[in-house]
Amino acid sequence: MLEARGLNKAFGSLTVTKDVSFALQKGERRVVLGPNGAGKTTLFNLLAGELKPSSGAVIMNGEDITALSVAARARRGMARSYQKNNLFGSLTIGENLALAVATATGAAGWLARDTLADPAIREAVRDAAGKVGLTEVLGARVDAVSYGMRRQLEVGIALSTRPSVLLMDEPTSGVGPGMIQAFHALLHTLPRDLTVLIIEHDMDLAFDVADRITVLNYGEVVFEGTPEETRASDLVREIYLGEWDAHA
Amino acid sequence: MFHQTLIKSIALIILVAVGIAYTLTTGYFGKELVIEAATLAMVAISLDLIAGFGGMISLCHGAIFGVGAYTYAALTVLYGIDPIAAFAVAIVASGVFGFAVGAVTSRTHGIFFIMATLAFGQMAYVTAFESRTLGGDDGLAGVPRLDFSALGIDFNDSTQFALFAIALAVLVYVIAAFVLRSGFGRTLVGIHVNEARMRAVGLTVWSYKAAAFGISGALAGLGGAIAAQQTMFVSPELMVWMVSGTVLMVVIFGGLGTLVGPAIGAVVWVFLKHEISSATPYWHIVAGAVLILTIVAGGRGLYGQIEHMIETRRAKTPKAPSAPSAAPIGQESETHA
Amino acid sequence: MVSDWTFWAAQTLNGLQLSMLLFLLSVGLTVIFGLLHFVNLAHGALYALGAYVGISAAAATGSYWAGFAAAPVVVALTGILLYLGLMKRMRRAGPMNQVLVTLGLIFVFVDVFRLLWGDLAIGTSEPTLFTGRTEAFGIVYPTYRLFIIALGAIVMAALALVLSRTQLGAMIRAGVDNDEMAACLGVNVERIFFIVFCVGCALAGLAGAVAAPVFSAHPDMGTEILISTLIVVVVGGMGSLRGAIAGSFLVGFAQTFGAVLVPEIASLLIYILLAGILVFRPTGLFPARA
Repeated sequence: MLEARGLNKAFGSLTVTKDVSFALQKGERRVVLGPNGAGKTTLFNLLAGELKPSSGAVIMNGEDITALSVAARARRGMARSYQKNNLFGSLTIGENLALAVATATGAAGWLARDTLADPAIREAVRDAAGKVGLTEVLGARVDAVSYGMRRQLEVGIALSTRPSVLLMDEPTSGVGPGMIQAFHALLHTLPRDLTVLIIEHDMDLAFDVADRITVLNYGEVVFEGTPEETRASDLVREIYLGEWDAHA
Repeated sequence: MFHQTLIKSIALIILVAVGIAYTLTTGYFGKELVIEAATLAMVAISLDLIAGFGGMISLCHGAIFGVGAYTYAALTVLYGIDPIAAFAVAIVASGVFGFAVGAVTSRTHGIFFIMATLAFGQMAYVTAFESRTLGGDDGLAGVPRLDFSALGIDFNDSTQFALFAIALAVLVYVIAAFVLRSGFGRTLVGIHVNEARMRAVGLTVWSYKAAAFGISGALAGLGGAIAAQQTMFVSPELMVWMVSGTVLMVVIFGGLGTLVGPAIGAVVWVFLKHEISSATPYWHIVAGAVLILTIVAGGRGLYGQIEHMIETRRAKTPKAPSAPSAAPIGQESETHA
Repeated sequence: MVSDWTFWAAQTLNGLQLSMLLFLLSVGLTVIFGLLHFVNLAHGALYALGAYVGISAAAATGSYWAGFAAAPVVVALTGILLYLGLMKRMRRAGPMNQVLVTLGLIFVFVDVFRLLWGDLAIGTSEPTLFTGRTEAFGIVYPTYRLFIIALGAIVMAALALVLSRTQLGAMIRAGVDNDEMAACLGVNVERIFFIVFCVGCALAGLAGAVAAPVFSAHPDMGTEILISTLIVVVVGGMGSLRGAIAGSFLVGFAQTFGAVLVPEIASLLIYILLAGILVFRPTGLFPARA
């Protein structure tokens, strides 16, 4: 489970995140919605450890991880995917996944054995590839496959570390309509005991996948509730004026 | 990712065979050149390990080489320590120095990193230059060679020492290849390609960079200890930063990220320098021009260019599809990240 | 250990003098990097060229000032040649390739110096205007070194003025901050680059000519001062005038006072300073781009 307690972040005189608090139960799918400039990315980076808050705390699995680095959080079971692909571009898809698997299983420092040839690691790689539908292209170089596949790999790398908490930053960003369905399906197949927080723009995805929705505006939490409650809320409707009617 | 491909193995075998044949047929001076080429190859390979595969372009490997040379010399000449023990300590000391530099520079990248290594290399040079114990700018003379007389080998004989140097150069290559082909080596390449993502999946990046630098340093120091034995003399001139510059040039000249290229580059470099220096006192102009041309021509270097051409030709020929379970998760041909 | 203040005053002046020389060299290097994203390791060689040209011009005409005037011009011209012939195409090539190419240039320059001026160090005399010593407030100090300090201060002030008060300065600062955006706004970035590059090279040449009477010229002088200059740039932060000033003073004074206060580790001081910066503030004290 994941909790934000009174998170504040100011850059100079600009307060981007104002007293944000919420708590995710284990296995919950939470979507964070908000218009552009609402502070979603900053919040994400605070949770992931890329930024330290001006005040407040991040709690994961009962432990206060606010002071921990990105790598330390990852070792405690946090994984993240990026809005803009952040892959190992000159390596193959299999190697991308293998690097994540090896690091998570403590094989990164092996001097005697090759992690790429190790059966246990290869198995885990195939497993992760299977989750994101990339088993056929393990030998292909990342910069030689389609954008959609790279988006899938983006999630695949995060899943390879067998995390307990997964943070996803606009996972369908730039993905065409055909692939979006595949992403919806992928999100439904994630392990039920995995806690997932998704930053999203796409409301279809939010309503389809979320157990609860948190809405940010100008850095503050303005609403939290189930998809039905969100759909019914006048406040949320006002914030998303215009976009709303298409999804009513 | 590194793979010991057939091309690499063939190139290496040819290089070693030529080296051995030359050693056995040439005179004293030729053998000295072989030893020089072998020690330069050792440093060059060690640098390629972290520069070509780890993306850490170090301009202090000449200094690490010097640390190895000085440690060996100081222990044997000043403290009368047994050469074999001194040799081992020299390797460890260079490794520790490399580890320290790697650790301190782990948060720096790009040009800052290069400059930082340059400055730390200078630090070693200045320490040696000003140390009266280490002979100051006169250096230390009378450095003994390893004593394998129990095995019936006499390293004071140039042929035997030259063959020993070649054997050690091969050993350095094998160790480097071994490290690169291990999980650690894969992680190193991962750090080079995307350090941020490696952090995001939980890696303590600095310790891996430092460890790689340490291993590289140990190998460079090994070369240095042999160089000390070749001339039986060490001076701060071994650590002048231009030496580090030369090592990097040799790596680029041979082929960054190919592991074999630097060895080939070292051999060609030493013999080229010898030939040109006999014709003119202005060898540096040629050296500089060669480097500039290598970069402007694409930067792959002698062997690197050949390897690239062979592999692109091979990539164009279609292969029969293999069964999914046997599908490789890595590429067979060398693609240095 | 001398405790009277005149000794310390003299040391302060020594520190200032070294800082000024370092400043003249580093300001060009850092702004060239900030603006052109180009690392020019051959900057030290340009300094050496300035010294040699200064000495030759002075020897040919009998006047120090001929060298003082000729050095920046010749070095700037050489810089232009190098830029057009080589550096321009390496601009987007990444730090490693730039380091390698300019490293190659260093090699070439060193032997060109040996070819044209021989292997031995050559000296020159100070201008008659500034020979001898000046006495003030009980301190006696070589006049020529005071001239160096004054010259450095004038250049510092002039650059600060240009950068903060002129249109050109604003364009340079914009270009350092974001060259693509600046170009979109109509700034002729290429021309700005060119001007900055020329001035940077000219300053290096001037530094060489000015240093010649004090340090004399030899083929390795460029590589010797390069390390200190690079440390100034890394410590001060790339791309900014403030960084160059701060770095120059820090390194200049560390070297000067270090030699007096802690002679055993004096030479290592700047490396310790560098290590500290790298660990705690990897981008330097005042980088142009945060």
